[in-house]
Order: sequence, then structure tokens, then C-alpha cells
Amino acid sequence: MTRTASEWLDRIRHIDLPERVKIMNVCGGHERSISSAGIRGALPDQVELIPGPGCPVCICPEEDVYEAIHIALGEDVTLVTFGDMLRVPVNVPRREIRSLEQAKAAGADIRPIASPIEARAIALQNPDRDVVFFAAGFETTMAPVAAMLCEGVPDNLYVLLSGRLTWPAVAMLLESGDPGFDALIAPGHVSTVMGPEEWEFVVNDHQLPAAVSGFTSESLLAGMYSVLRQLTDGTPFLDNCYPDVVRPQGNRNARKHLDQAFEVYDATWRGIGIIPGSGYGLREAFASNDARVRYPGYSDESRKRVGEMPQGCDCASVVLGKIYPNQCRIYGIACTPRSPVGPCMVSEEGACRIWWASGVRDQDVA
Amino acid sequence: MCLAIPMKVMEVDGFEARCEAKGVERQVNLFMMQDETLETGDFVMVHVGYAIQKVTPQEAQSAWELFDQVLEAMDR
Ligand code: SF4
Repeated sequence: MTRTASEWLDRIRHIDLPERVKIMNVCGGHERSISSAGIRGALPDQVELIPGPGCPVCICPEEDVYEAIHIALGEDVTLVTFGDMLRVPVNVPRREIRSLEQAKAAGADIRPIASPIEARAIALQNPDRDVVFFAAGFETTMAPVAAMLCEGVPDNLYVLLSGRLTWPAVAMLLESGDPGFDALIAPGHVSTVMGPEEWEFVVNDHQLPAAVSGFTSESLLAGMYSVLRQLTDGTPFLDNCYPDVVRPQGNRNARKHLDQAFEVYDATWRGIGIIPGSGYGLREAFASNDARVRYPGYSDESRKRVGEMPQGCDCASVVLGKIYPNQCRIYGIACTPRSPVGPCMVSEEGACRIWWASGVRDQDVA
Repeated sequence: MCLAIPMKVMEVDGFEARCEAKGVERQVNLFMMQDETLETGDFVMVHVGYAIQKVTPQEAQSAWELFDQVLEAMDR
């Protein structure tokens, strides 16, 4: 496993590849490494790398962001959330408040945080005030939120949970009959927590090659070499190209906390709809720290419309790997990191933002 | 948001550790590391302030090189 990136590339170039192979990744961190290291350009022409559902901010349901905005505006609370969530826009008429950032400017007490530790600390420092922690994220981020709850939190801390599991989105794509990819690079840090076994269904149920990769060029290229070899040899198996960090069964202690704090339910993904078994919700035992129990009036059923992306935004297709970011009709035109239209241009994990940051400026008409 | 950064353990105190990476010190929560023994000098992958896994010094080093690269790209 100590080959260099160029050695891996060399090995990949020597594979007798089919005319076209699409490899999907489902992790914003992977996409960032691929883009910033220029891996796409270095691979043989036949190999396409497509970013898939790897951005928790992008798929956080519109109605959850709306709920957070309106709890922050309507109640005497401090709302804390991971920084990326502040600029995510909701779909409201122009003059209405359309992001947490705008709600903050309008006077709501909203603070970006980098860790659940800060959420707890802010609640401890303000015992007479409700603190609402709007927590979106995938398994890697949900495990710390679960650990925070299991370790114990002050009574005035309420979690507004919007956690999602990654593998059900991939399962949904595979079951759709038109997955749009021939091999999978499985996410490194999700697997660190959950264990690589979570991805075995890709191989066992769908006979597609899969490899868990880390974030260096070497580890990503090792994963790509592995899935390409699996494909041409016709022997798919789940490879682990990040073995120093991803251990069998993942982090059992973390999984125990996840299980203690959360139950899994059918959850909405923004622009995509309901994906079975893809969401985390607080268990009954933590109801006294559940923001939805504390502030029930803010969840608006009527907002749960599938396809809730801003007008003209193709984020849903980008997230599902149906199109590349620059195939969105307004990529770089109406939508840039400075004035983002959709969540994929807001989040540092969003494919549109990553492509823009790595210098892709041209539209590619599909 | 699933990004994790390797840090070196400086001092362990119950479920908390003082960790260091590139001269920056942080309190890191170890509540998810209860199945591991951690000592000063060990490396952990840290995600949103929580250690999610113990890693080798080699892995920590290669992850750090990568972050320099990526951060530079995201600043553009
Ligand atoms: S470029 Fe902007 S509008 Fe288009 S899909 Fe990406 S985030 Fe949405």
C-alpha cells in the first residue's frame, strides 16, 4: 500500500479498460481531493469520476432549514449550527428571510459552531436560556452528536436533528435500475465510524466493484485501481484501501452511542424525496432534549414537497450523480460561491462549490 | 463535513484530551474512544471536536500533507 500516486496511475494505465467506466464517490471530502489533486485529468479518458450523494448540507431538507430559521426568529433562544448551514437558502418569496444568516442579520441569536462541544458549552454558560442545536450531517458527524447526548447534556440544550445515513441513498440509486455508475468509491470517514461492512451490499446484492478509500491521492488512486481491476477481472469484492483508519466493524463504541441516542427512520432528502431507512431521529429516552418536542409548532407539513430546490437549481441531479455540476444551467452564471442559488454551491462539501474552487468555469451542456 | 483531521495527543484527562496539530492546540472529546487506550504521543483522527479513531503517525503525516493541498485549493 505504499505505492506513490504516479505508480498507481501507471498501473491504472496498464489495465485493458472498456470504452467507458463511471466511478461514483459519495463523499464531499473525496470529491475535494480528486478535484484539487487533478485526478480526473490524470486518468485515462475512458474513466469518468462522478460525485454522488456526499454532501449532508446539500440534502438537508428544506423544511428543516425553514424550521430552524423560524424557531430562531420566533422563540427566545440561541440557535447553534455547523457553519455551513448558515447560508443554505430556503425557497421563499424574495422579501422573506431565506437563510439562517439573514435571520441572524434580522436579530435572531444564531451562532456558528464547529463542534457539539461548543453547543454544550454555550448551553452551560447560559442556564436560563434555551439553546437549540440544529445538527445536520452524515454518520461521521452524527456519532459525535450521539456521543454528546449519551455523555450527558444540560436540560436547556435541545437538538434539532437532521442526520442522514449515506448507504441508503446509494442503495436507492442501485435499486432504481439506472444507477449511473459502474463502480463505487465508498466514503472513508463514514466507514471509519460504521465499518466497511456497511458497503458490502454493493458487491453482494448488485455485483458492483467497491473500495473504501482515504483522502490522499494514493489512497484514492489505490481504490480506483482496485475497482477497475475488479471490473475487468469480473470479480467484484469490497476492498479497503484505507486500512490504517478504517477497521473491521468501524468504531464499535461510536456505533453503540448512535444506537443508544437515535433510531433510524424513512427520511426526506432535499430535492430527492423520501429514502427508506436513511434518517436519524432522537429516541424517546432523549425526548426532553428534542427541539421538535420542545417547539412542536414549527414543523410545517405543507413544506414537505419533493423537489424543493430553488428555481433553476439542478442540485438534486448533481447530488444523485445524474449530471456534473457544470451541466447545471446556471452554474457560474447566476450561481457562484459569492451568490449561491443552491446548497451545492454553499457547502464546502457541495460538488458545485468544489468544482468552482478547483477552477472549473466552463458550462458543459449535457 | 465528514472531514477528520489527525491530531497528536498531549494529555489525557478522562474523556477529554489536549491535542495538538501544527502548533494549534484543542480540547478533544474521547467519549467514542472508550474501547482504546490512548497515551500521550498517540495520534487520533478528530472530527467536529471528537476523536473517531486512533491512527498511525504515518497516516497522520500523509493526511496533513493532503490538507495543506486542499486548503490551498479551497481558498481560491
Ligand atoms: S450550480 Fe448552483 S444552482 Fe446549479 S446545481 Fe449547483 S448549486 Fe444548484
